[in-house]
Amino acid sequence: MENFEYFEPKTLKEAVRLLVKYKKGAKLLAGGTDLVSEMKTGFVKPKCMINLKKIKGLDRISFSKKEGLTIGSLVTWTTILSSKPIRQYYPILREAASFIACPQIRNIATIGGNICHASPGADSAPALMIYEAQCVVAGPGRGRIIPVENIFTGVQKISLKEGEILTGFRLPPPDEETKGCYLKFAPRNAMGLPIVGVGVLIKASNRTFEDVRIALGAVAPTPIRARKAEGFLSGKPMDDDTVRKAAEEAVKESNPITDIRASREYRLGLVKELTYRAITLSISKNITLE
Amino acid sequence: MKKSQIKIKVNGEWHELTVPNKRTLLEVIREDLHFTGTKKMCDAGECGSCTVIMDGMVVNSCIVLAVDANGKEIATIESLSQIGTLHPIQEEFVTKGAIQCGFCTPGMILSAKALLDQNPNPTEMDVKKAIAGNFCRCTGYVRIVNAILSAAERLRSEKDERI
Repeated sequence: MENFEYFEPKTLKEAVRLLVKYKKGAKLLAGGTDLVSEMKTGFVKPKCMINLKKIKGLDRISFSKKEGLTIGSLVTWTTILSSKPIRQYYPILREAASFIACPQIRNIATIGGNICHASPGADSAPALMIYEAQCVVAGPGRGRIIPVENIFTGVQKISLKEGEILTGFRLPPPDEETKGCYLKFAPRNAMGLPIVGVGVLIKASNRTFEDVRIALGAVAPTPIRARKAEGFLSGKPMDDDTVRKAAEEAVKESNPITDIRASREYRLGLVKELTYRAITLSISKNITLE
Repeated sequence: MKKSQIKIKVNGEWHELTVPNKRTLLEVIREDLHFTGTKKMCDAGECGSCTVIMDGMVVNSCIVLAVDANGKEIATIESLSQIGTLHPIQEEFVTKGAIQCGFCTPGMILSAKALLDQNPNPTEMDVKKAIAGNFCRCTGYVRIVNAILSAAERLRSEKDERI
């Protein structure tokens, strides 16, 4: 690993100033679990490391039924797993957190880091996307808000501009009538990256789908929303045949690669089966399929 | 300046050091402070051999930068035994045959310690989840889980006796 200059700014303003000064040579340090491993392999070689942990407030969670949930970028997965409002109102985010790596990693790895690392299979992405989370971004100019699905631009690429820092996420107020789940297919329960991950959030009434959100991980260069499958389900009856057809729509929207973990064909098969299972499982939480 | 001054408390004692910014906590523990019970294996945050307890929580010390551990309290495997007496978790690992090559053992025991400190009465599944990040390649998991469960039982009864 090559050496680097190291800073611990106390304010966001100072951190932004350092980012602007060092440009592409700078890396922001949150949990560091991905960053430090990638520095060891030489995949990234920062000239300057900016540790965000001394900036107050980035590790906080706040919630109200009216305002929704705010999660700072530096909140760890262990903190998310122990958060009462997340357990009660955003259970799919908790479910995704429970699938991440292992205790040693969850104790230091952060939600902001997971999103900024922008792995196509990031476990947090489908959960944040189905809750339609917004990214809160600070920068040299005025801050801005971007929908989480728009932050991803490619494999390990995000749409933040020079000097910008992801400071946290805002999740809209919870809809207590929704049901959902996150399913992950991986070779083992711990320390596995998903071969395919599927997050689903469903609102239904009178045995009819109203609002359905489906997000897929590891099936394209970025995590994606399966909007055709979502649209297909909207207004349709909740029966087995409809769910099977929706799963086929989700396959058409996926464009996975063949890599060391699985072939493209295998992944497409998984999208079909896991989407079907995720929808079925979600609605069976209190309703049965006809 | 590509070096920083840090102060860390390891096994009850504060240490002040000047380290290159790229130095990992694992390197400081093993090479500067000579607590070589902490093992270096994958050196990529995958295997859990370098597990230490930092401010009460297990971490993989190979992917924690020493500068990022500044001000923290660290416990390594050396903190468990006292004046030649093994900790009950260590004793149960020995008597239950939970050690084969021994390379994963320090990390396993520290993950068990962190679990039992928070949850003195774990289920078998709690134990399996707690050691999910510690790889044993001799595949002695059954005995390791049994050792941790019986250590939990022993610690509970020792606590009852003290009361």
